[in-house]
Amino acid sequence: MTILETRDLVYSYPDGTIALDNVSVRIDLGKKIAFVGRNGSGKSTLFLTLNGTLVPKKGEVLFHGEPVKYDAKSLRELRKNVGIVFQNSDDQLFAPSIYQDVAFGPTNLGYSKEKINSVVQSTLDYVGLNPLKRKPPHHLSGGQKKRVAIAGIVAMEPEVIILDEPLSNLDPVGADEVMDLLNELNYFGKTIIISTHDVDLAYRWADYVFIMTNHQMIGEGIPEDIFRNEELLQKAYLRKPQILEVHEELRRRSLVKANGCPKDIPGLVRILKEPELMWVKVSPDVKVGDSVNLGLLHGEFALTYPMEAVNGRVLHIHEDCMAIVELSRHYVRAGSIMIYDTDHHDAGFLELFIAHGDVDTVGAMGKRSKLIAERDNIHLDITSGVIDRSILNALCGQRCLIITHGGMIYHAFERITQYIEESGINIHVDIINENGDISTLATACTGQVSCVQSSEEHSV
Amino acid sequence: MTQILDDYALNSPLREKNNWLKIAITAFGILVGVSSNSPVTPFIIALCMSIATIHFSKVPAKFYFKILAAPAGFVMVSAVIIAFFSGAGSEVFGFDILSHRFAVTIGGLNMAFLVLARTISGMSCLFFLSLSTPMIELFSVLKATRFPDSFIEISMMMYRYIFVFMEVAMGIKYAQTVRLGYKDFRTSFRSMGMLGTSLFIRAWEQGEKLYISMNSRCYDGRLILLEEDRPIKRSEVALTSAYFIIVLVVFYSTRNILLI
Repeated sequence: MTILETRDLVYSYPDGTIALDNVSVRIDLGKKIAFVGRNGSGKSTLFLTLNGTLVPKKGEVLFHGEPVKYDAKSLRELRKNVGIVFQNSDDQLFAPSIYQDVAFGPTNLGYSKEKINSVVQSTLDYVGLNPLKRKPPHHLSGGQKKRVAIAGIVAMEPEVIILDEPLSNLDPVGADEVMDLLNELNYFGKTIIISTHDVDLAYRWADYVFIMTNHQMIGEGIPEDIFRNEELLQKAYLRKPQILEVHEELRRRSLVKANGCPKDIPGLVRILKEPELMWVKVSPDVKVGDSVNLGLLHGEFALTYPMEAVNGRVLHIHEDCMAIVELSRHYVRAGSIMIYDTDHHDAGFLELFIAHGDVDTVGAMGKRSKLIAERDNIHLDITSGVIDRSILNALCGQRCLIITHGGMIYHAFERITQYIEESGINIHVDIINENGDISTLATACTGQVSCVQSSEEHSV
Repeated sequence: MTQILDDYALNSPLREKNNWLKIAITAFGILVGVSSNSPVTPFIIALCMSIATIHFSKVPAKFYFKILAAPAGFVMVSAVIIAFFSGAGSEVFGFDILSHRFAVTIGGLNMAFLVLARTISGMSCLFFLSLSTPMIELFSVLKATRFPDSFIEISMMMYRYIFVFMEVAMGIKYAQTVRLGYKDFRTSFRSMGMLGTSLFIRAWEQGEKLYISMNSRCYDGRLILLEEDRPIKRSEVALTSAYFIIVLVVFYSTRNILLI
């Protein structure tokens, strides 16, 4: 059942800047909803239209299927049922003591003195702040303030509670307490809406997710679908949730069972692959715990990669030198990482290199380089966590190009060589146009290109 | 964070006591102290109030004397001037500067002592109240004395936002200091100006946000006050009456006694 709905909402600020551009959302009763988008994407403005504070230029807001009217009485009814907890608790806590602040809403609803007292007491008990009720707000910690702000809304017994960035500026424990409180409220039937730019939070907490960018709604759906849609995330300037990235890398290394979409660590642990066991004939001097080299496998024996080196750890030796071994597979081909320095940018060369240099993924690091890539229409596969993801891709045999400049080049170079030293896996890393030395490289590259061309001709 | 009077009041054990009792004690002290002709009574009151503040209200003595030192220092200087320039009677002490006679007379000295005693006793009474009764409690007293509601509401919000802006101001000041905003007199002035400007803008913005957040909670012009019934206990009545009686007895018996 839909409780709140907006249809083609348009809102612009008095100075003409568009804040909401044709936004349509449907919010179902009793759900946990997250609006995700980077700062300034229009989430807060949307929230203020949902409780009638801002009147949309076009479109309408519907509460329980009825269009919202903007006369004083209807607004009161709407605001009683749609409570907003603001991002900064200090905007909301204005009474000199906590008791008074929580009592503010019920007083305005015209409750009797006894009812106000009992509602406030039970709400304060509920959020666990009763011992502090006579303190002024400036004596509380950030997490406590946030809980008072939530209590102030809960005391009005709304059907929908909207929280703008509920976890900003909270420490991890304070954040956990707030999230526990929200889950509990949801369990008791409240519809909870939050806005956040924390993709990890939205992914693990929400039932349904809306993605906003540039004042538009660009995607909605269940978190499992939304956060696996890389194109959408990139458009919204967001990244994948950490747990999905870990899952992705495990899957590429075939360490997890076939498709699953873990939401949390227990979910991830559940789909981890059990060890792969095999009977192998071993020589008599092999003991339990030894490692045996089973050689290079390819074709149908290589599970993930064209060529795999397989080692086995002996778990048990049976009679007749038959042993149970646990297999571990390593792909043989490591990829390479090339770093391109935009301080010596040459658009033609870069384009040529990407087109013919057998590059699998292109990443850009640093705002300046990203702008250059955007200007020259270079498609970027990676825009955040560039070094680490390039390493991961290279480990899976891809050739990665990192476009960057200045000190970040050496940072990237060091980070990669450090990884090589620590892991013992050799990834070829190279700066392709160091010190403006394009000419030689360009010739080398064109040589390669001509070579490629000639081979193509040859094949023709 | 700097501790202010209100913070001590919030944690004071006397906070739980009846507000009217505390106000009565304070008012009594001030009235008797001011109407006394002899410096003895105000000194007794100051002593009792200081003991009450330090012992019952658990205010650290060091802090108490520090805040008392500010008005005390001021009144000391005034007392010296009063001693030299007022009163009549025989001369106690005097000297010539550029053939002009400066002298302290008996009348002047007595007047100086009286002013000193009255000020200290008044201050210690006020500190007793402000260190045992936080603003939050005083709002309901204001309400009971039939102050206009809007006045009380505005003062409640002002009270709350003083602390918000103090924090903002301290944050800005720190940010300016670490970038050498107070390295000399000129830059200090510039920085202070900038601090004031940004605080003003913040206050304005905060007002807008406050309006929205109050409206979102259906504000219709009513704030509730924290009213709690705190019956006065017998022991408190006994102690207070004992104090009143002692002070009144001292007041009566020392009505004509001057120090010199």
